[in-house]
Amino acid sequence: MALYERFVEDGEPPGAGEVADALGIAAADAEAAFRRLHEAHIIVLTPATTQVWMAAPLSAVPTDFRVETTRGEFWGNCVWDGLGVVSMLGGEGTVRTRCPDCGEPMALRVEGGQLLETDGLAHFAVPAKRWWDNIGFT
Amino acid sequence: MLAFRSEAHVDRWCDETGHERGAAFPLATAWRLAERWYRDRLSPEWRRRTPAEAQAVFAELGLTGEFWNLG
Repeated sequence: MALYERFVEDGEPPGAGEVADALGIAAADAEAAFRRLHEAHIIVLTPATTQVWMAAPLSAVPTDFRVETTRGEFWGNCVWDGLGVVSMLGGEGTVRTRCPDCGEPMALRVEGGQLLETDGLAHFAVPAKRWWDNIGFT
Repeated sequence: MLAFRSEAHVDRWCDETGHERGAAFPLATAWRLAERWYRDRLSPEWRRRTPAEAQAVFAELGLTGEFWNLG
């Protein structure tokens, strides 16, 4: 939870050292905890590091899913996660993306917990049981 | 999961990029899935769903069939 709170507060994920300081534990223990969360598919670390890449629905790196909320702007990992950021942060906001086919901008606006823009489709290329084979693509 | 303007855009993108045609569904369903999945993500009581719980969420939203089977 410390990780998510900091991510939302700062707009970027904390390092293991910052979490260690906040919780008063050793940096090595925080790093080990990050690795356990990664193994459990709760967060995704940048390969060969303890830097957070994804803490779903949030992304630490820019993506095609920019999310505007009442608590700030964030990146989502995909359209599901982009909408998830809006829901997680109060159900008011907009996901800005582009149709991958034609590049046309799409703005998915949520107000009062309702999606206003309902034209268009979501498409999932990867079947559910293979999502974690390549989570960056999924 | 990506957002497309229409079914025709999904088809063309799959043809041109060689991606498999997976599951396409209304953005309203994607919103309901996102809401169901992430609404409580910052709650101290949050815990990761079991595969059976995740499967039940998909089923509630009509996301059924082999594509959605977590096995």
